[in-house]
Amino acid sequence: MIFEINEQDGGYVATVSGRLDTPAAVKAQQEIAPLLENADKQITLDCKDLEYISSSGLRLFLTIRKEASSKGGKVIIEHINDEIKKVFMMTGFFNLFDIR
Amino acid sequence: MIDYGLDLHGEMLLEEYCDKQPLFEELQRVVMEKLGALVRQSGIEVNSMESRIKAEGSLAGKLRLKGHKYASLLDITDIFGARIITFYNEDVDRIASMAEVLFEIDWDNSVDKRRMHQFDSFGYNSLHYICRLPEEQYYDPEKPELNKIRFELQMRTALQHVWSAIQHDIGYKSEIETPLEYHRNLSRLAGMLELADNEFSRIRNAIADYRRRAQSLVQSGQLEEVPLDLDTFRSYLDKRPFDRLNRKIAAITQAELHEAPWWPYLKVLRIIGMNTLGDVERLMRDNFDDAYQLALFQLGSTDIDILAETVGLQNLCIVHLLKTGGGRLSLVQFFDTINGKMPQNETLAEMVIEQASRLEFMNVKR
Repeated sequence: MIFEINEQDGGYVATVSGRLDTPAAVKAQQEIAPLLENADKQITLDCKDLEYISSSGLRLFLTIRKEASSKGGKVIIEHINDEIKKVFMMTGFFNLFDIR
Repeated sequence: MIDYGLDLHGEMLLEEYCDKQPLFEELQRVVMEKLGALVRQSGIEVNSMESRIKAEGSLAGKLRLKGHKYASLLDITDIFGARIITFYNEDVDRIASMAEVLFEIDWDNSVDKRRMHQFDSFGYNSLHYICRLPEEQYYDPEKPELNKIRFELQMRTALQHVWSAIQHDIGYKSEIETPLEYHRNLSRLAGMLELADNEFSRIRNAIADYRRRAQSLVQSGQLEEVPLDLDTFRSYLDKRPFDRLNRKIAAITQAELHEAPWWPYLKVLRIIGMNTLGDVERLMRDNFDDAYQLALFQLGSTDIDILAETVGLQNLCIVHLLKTGGGRLSLVQFFDTINGKMPQNETLAEMVIEQASRLEFMNVKR
């Protein structure tokens, strides 16, 4: 399981771990359903154990953000490693998220 | 029923008013729905829309004073009243013209108080229409009387409303009841608010003219003359000036471009000294190849096939900062501006410096 989701303080915290490559992202599409359903709340993506993110992984993050944006929710990304930071920066997506 | 000290005729009218409450409530609902739809459709930004059905006590007071003037309840035109408060004088006129289409106006009893003042006096300004709801707008076969009831529609600007509300609050009626000194003070204020209303309209028109002029200059490519601001940047973006660079960068990994907010970059462009759209064009012309080289270095060894549509402009700004000797501090400031202040921006700045240090533009002696 890539996204392990828990309800916390009225919002949702998803611990994202491993390698979010294309096959993992396809599988994770089902896993993020509870996040999309509750995108009117605060969603925290805790990425401390996320090793790698592919374009498909970025698309998943963007899907969650889009849903939250349309429902008035908020997405926070926490604890991303430097390599993934670099990916967010190089693609121009860094300022689309609240990265902490 | 409360004894308001009315004569028999007055009591009968008041009783009829109580019986017809549901009818007035329905009229209120229908009229406010129609007006709301009309205002929304016109795109006019209004300050507020309000309505009320005259309270029993208030009507009783009116009947006590001049009940003999009204043969029937239908002769009283303000039992239901609606008010639209706009920001600008012109919008009062626009709403009035739309109300003329929507309702049947009783011109004999409608008043444009804005035109009632002598040239040397100032006071209450408002446009009052006495209206009926025509059958073609709404008809309930069980309540045909609904279309016979006259109601008052007041239209005024927010400043006219403020003056009127304060005048009402302090209990001012006329110069007969109030010492002339206070009357004069209120008139002075009315004059000042009338001037302010006209000035707000003038400013709005001037801004609209400026936007049209800037848009036309952008469309005709005369960018040197166009100051960089929110409006002109928006017009400039409509021409999709960064598409060529974005497409070239996207082609590196056959990436798709995803929409992203441009507005943080307006602030960045101003900070790095871009004062006109001509400056932005020069920024692109002078740094196009290097911005592409930076992207090629960053993305060439990856399979990332999704990019923000701001990626070209991001790289243009980074390259400009590095080429003009900005260094780490200016990059941190750049990331602070687009991402918001956060410690991670220092890491990003260091990453960019590390990447760019291997590129030609950082190693050529200028």
